[in-house]
Amino acid sequence: MGHKRSGAASGLAALLILCVTSLTLFTIYVKEGSDGPLHTIQLGAAEVLQPMRSGVSTVASPLDSVRGRVEGAFKDDKTDELRLERRESDAAVAELSRLRRENERLREMVDGSRSTYEYGPLARVVAPVGDQFSERIRLNVGTREGIKPEMPVVVGDNLLVGRTMSVTENTSEVLLVTDPEFKAGVRIVPPDAIDPNTGELTAQETEEGVPFGQGLLGTTWESYLGIELVNLGDRAEKDDFVVTSGRAGDKELLYPPGLLVGKVESSTATDIDQFKKIVVTPAVKPEELEEVRVIVGW
Amino acid sequence: MMAETSVLRAAVVVAAAAVLEAVVGPFLAFGWISPKFVVIAVVFAVSGLRELQAVLLGFFGGTLVDALGGGLFGVGALGGLIAATLSMRVGAARLKNAQRFLLAQVAGVSVFAYDLISLTSLKLTTSTGPAVGEYIIGGALPDALLNVVLAYLLGGWLLNVVRSRETR
Repeated sequence: MGHKRSGAASGLAALLILCVTSLTLFTIYVKEGSDGPLHTIQLGAAEVLQPMRSGVSTVASPLDSVRGRVEGAFKDDKTDELRLERRESDAAVAELSRLRRENERLREMVDGSRSTYEYGPLARVVAPVGDQFSERIRLNVGTREGIKPEMPVVVGDNLLVGRTMSVTENTSEVLLVTDPEFKAGVRIVPPDAIDPNTGELTAQETEEGVPFGQGLLGTTWESYLGIELVNLGDRAEKDDFVVTSGRAGDKELLYPPGLLVGKVESSTATDIDQFKKIVVTPAVKPEELEEVRVIVGW
Repeated sequence: MMAETSVLRAAVVVAAAAVLEAVVGPFLAFGWISPKFVVIAVVFAVSGLRELQAVLLGFFGGTLVDALGGGLFGVGALGGLIAATLSMRVGAARLKNAQRFLLAQVAGVSVFAYDLISLTSLKLTTSTGPAVGEYIIGGALPDALLNVVLAYLLGGWLLNVVRSRETR
């Protein structure tokens, strides 16, 4: 009887001590920097588990395509056609933007200076990572390939999908555009404001003198990608393009300007709000990501 | 005759579940809902252990989840402790026929508690997060239900693995 009681007492004492230890670990983790010991343990574990995650990803990818086909079988042809058209249109926008950058680069070369995107090697998406509240992926490139934290990650030349966070020698974690923590300064550009020959913006405002909308891109906890802080008087209409403005709050040039994020899906304004409510359809769906590139310099 | 739980086997099962959760778990997640292999493993592995062994194993499993996953450190450890404590209490009842069913429910309650701890920690660190009611209805409750079913399906096998010897 006495032995049982002492066992229960020691169990309770251990429970209390371990609860305090857990809270201490939590506090240390939150307070320490990204190079602190607990973060380092997580990065080391990510490095060790990378081959296993890579293997699971390889096995899971055919299953994803089968799931996509099964889902596609239940959708009508019209939807598929529209989706295809939208993708072609997005690709055309990306091409326009690329031409614009090339034009800028050539102009700068003529002027004697150089400025263009410098890409890291093509990176494969190893696995989704993080907890249930985050949208993150891990790539199979790291510091060895010149990747550092806070670098933009794109599909193709300039479709923005996220930015790098913690980076190890062989892997890097990417915070996706659809993660609620992700923020980026963006501009809302109407399609007819882009010169089809040069890819450059032909104006900063409409013919009536209404400025194009600017704001802060982010995903809400209701799981839609939106733009905040767009003035009620600014232009923002359905199917306008959303591109980075090169600003994100007080962090200037966190992303280079001109990266395509998506299109405006809806834009609404009410009398009681100070700003417009804008919902954006991302140009790339995170679950469709297979290969990406990191912009290591611009 | 009663089965006795092997501490070593229980620890191996919990460690294997932590690796499985870190490697395969993200591929099986649907928004806020995902299999919590470690919580399930802790619940079934510690049910026959002494109190001190049980809480230590729960903490061990939770800390492994924290280290191998990318979430906030300490949250998994607290979740593991809750799972171990609840399982220990139910395991003490030694209801042989209903044990698997009861432990599956304990796994559900533990997952629910774990989800609420995760939400609280998120709100403490970032001051943002989904609304509590919305998260409970759309995330924590379905997550708990999924893991109850998973725990019930895996429970029999887990109990066989961790219980090694028959004692009088």
